[in-house]
Amino acid sequence: MGKTETVMLSIKDLCVSIGEKEILRGINLEIKPGEIHAIMGPNGSGKSTLASVLAGRETFTVTGGSATFMGKDLFAMTPEERARLGLFLGFQYPVEIPGLTIVNFMKAAINEQRKFNNLPGLSSGEFLKMMREKMAVVEMDPSFVGRGVNVGFSGGEKKRNEIFQMAMLEPTLAILDETDSGLDVDALRVVAHGVNKLKTKDNAFVVITHYQRLLDYIVPDIVHVLYKGQIIKSAGKELALEVETKGYDHLINEK
Amino acid sequence: MKEYTYLPEVRRVFRCTVPDENIRQVFLVDGILQEEDNEKDGITLKRGAEEKGLYMRVQGDHFGETIQIISVRSEDLSCPLEFTNEWELEPGAGIQIIVCDHTLNDHLYQTSRFSKITLGENARLDILFMQNEHIHSRYRLDMIANLDKGSQLDCHVLSLYGGIINNKIHAVMNHPGAVCRMDGLYLADGEQHIQYDIAVVHNAPDCFSRQLFKGILDNHSRGSFNGAIKVAPGAQKTEAYQANHNLLLTNEAKVTTKPQLEIYADDVKCSHGASIGRLDEMGLFYLRSRGIPLAQAKMLQQMAFVEDVLAGIRTLAIRERLEKMVESRLRGEFKKCSNCTMHCC
Repeated sequence: MGKTETVMLSIKDLCVSIGEKEILRGINLEIKPGEIHAIMGPNGSGKSTLASVLAGRETFTVTGGSATFMGKDLFAMTPEERARLGLFLGFQYPVEIPGLTIVNFMKAAINEQRKFNNLPGLSSGEFLKMMREKMAVVEMDPSFVGRGVNVGFSGGEKKRNEIFQMAMLEPTLAILDETDSGLDVDALRVVAHGVNKLKTKDNAFVVITHYQRLLDYIVPDIVHVLYKGQIIKSAGKELALEVETKGYDHLINEK
Repeated sequence: MKEYTYLPEVRRVFRCTVPDENIRQVFLVDGILQEEDNEKDGITLKRGAEEKGLYMRVQGDHFGETIQIISVRSEDLSCPLEFTNEWELEPGAGIQIIVCDHTLNDHLYQTSRFSKITLGENARLDILFMQNEHIHSRYRLDMIANLDKGSQLDCHVLSLYGGIINNKIHAVMNHPGAVCRMDGLYLADGEQHIQYDIAVVHNAPDCFSRQLFKGILDNHSRGSFNGAIKVAPGAQKTEAYQANHNLLLTNEAKVTTKPQLEIYADDVKCSHGASIGRLDEMGLFYLRSRGIPLAQAKMLQQMAFVEDVLAGIRTLAIRERLEKMVESRLRGEFKKCSNCTMHCC
């Protein structure tokens, strides 16, 4: 008998509502280490909801189905427990926190992570060195460390900051929610470069996007099309091109 | 860091530290100055009226020193106490004063401290009031400052702990070119009650004033902020700004805020802003999604909220010390110490 491949994230028949409104209606998805998944779909199809629910946002209610992450029941964990287990959400709209510097924010996050992994805390010198290295990955100006989290950042700077945080935390599974929206070509390349540099055979990425453009830089193994809360088609990277040229209508009609 | 200075007259060991080597410490026990009247390094220090409180005069050529005034209520006197501290800065003088108010046990103390500040031409005073008493104390600060031409007053008030805290702060600018900055931070929990009444009076043209007051209220605590700016006829080119922001951590905590602007001149820049809000849910989720536990995320958000008030304290060592105290206060560590009242500060 062949060796069973480890599944990092397994989602079964996931149904999610906000208030009375049903948003996800039976999602099935399996993600294995080393994979890059792309999720596409028209506006309002539930892409961002899926990302938020997996990260643990409490405004949504899971009404059915299950999700297992690293062998654990994902929905039984708090957002911080999920993060410490290696889940990362790159926000579509990163939150501004005036008065909290990026350095203090990351110090708190890294300390928690190291505590969880039974590692000693980093010295200030070690920490700053790590910050500098990871900022270089996303070509972020070092002067940003002392600035308030996302305060006064341009759209591109906010997204770079998300990838920078991802580089700091080195997650096992990163979900990037429309990280490409609002980016110019140069910023897009920087973000994609960051992702490619962090990719290993042991981690995985879920890239949520509207445009095929990002997928030229981050080449997915599997592309899923989400429509009205269900995955209506999964295929190789050529599906993204098909969507780009023909739109979603023919997939919806096919269904 | 400087070694702890012990106050020998007080039987229980009392510690009050400031992390700066060169700070001169002056003690007041139950309003009585603990040193002989003296005059050194351009500073005259003596007892105030009726032997109570202190009078300090700073010579014009004196600039840059820091003096910490540690004012405690002891077990020897439990009746209501009133005294006046007076500061007079000669033209061109500059000094930094830190006033630390404490109680040495949990008696039902009631203390009124009047503070009279007179700034000569181009004088500069940085004054910081640290109000750190205990849950049964009643504290009242009544401050009035007169600013002469070109003088500058930077006043910080930190209400860390106390049963009922009443702060009445009044600044009058009768001559052009004066600058008055007032910052305040009030942290209340349990059944605490904190009130601020601020009045900044612009009687002369070309003066600048700014007020920034922030409060975090937990449990059933109450807060109230009344802030007035008065601009007299003829006080043209006045710039006067006021902001009061409040964070309520529970549904039971309450705060009222009342900005009042009275402006009788027509060529001025004045503004006021007041807000009452709660912790930002989306911000908390953002922090948690990076592995930061909920309690810590809430703490980071509260520290971020007060950051701009503390940033106004120019001496780095003092600012860092206060940041630590505010953080431990917000973690509820002062409450645990309420039987001890030393607050280990």
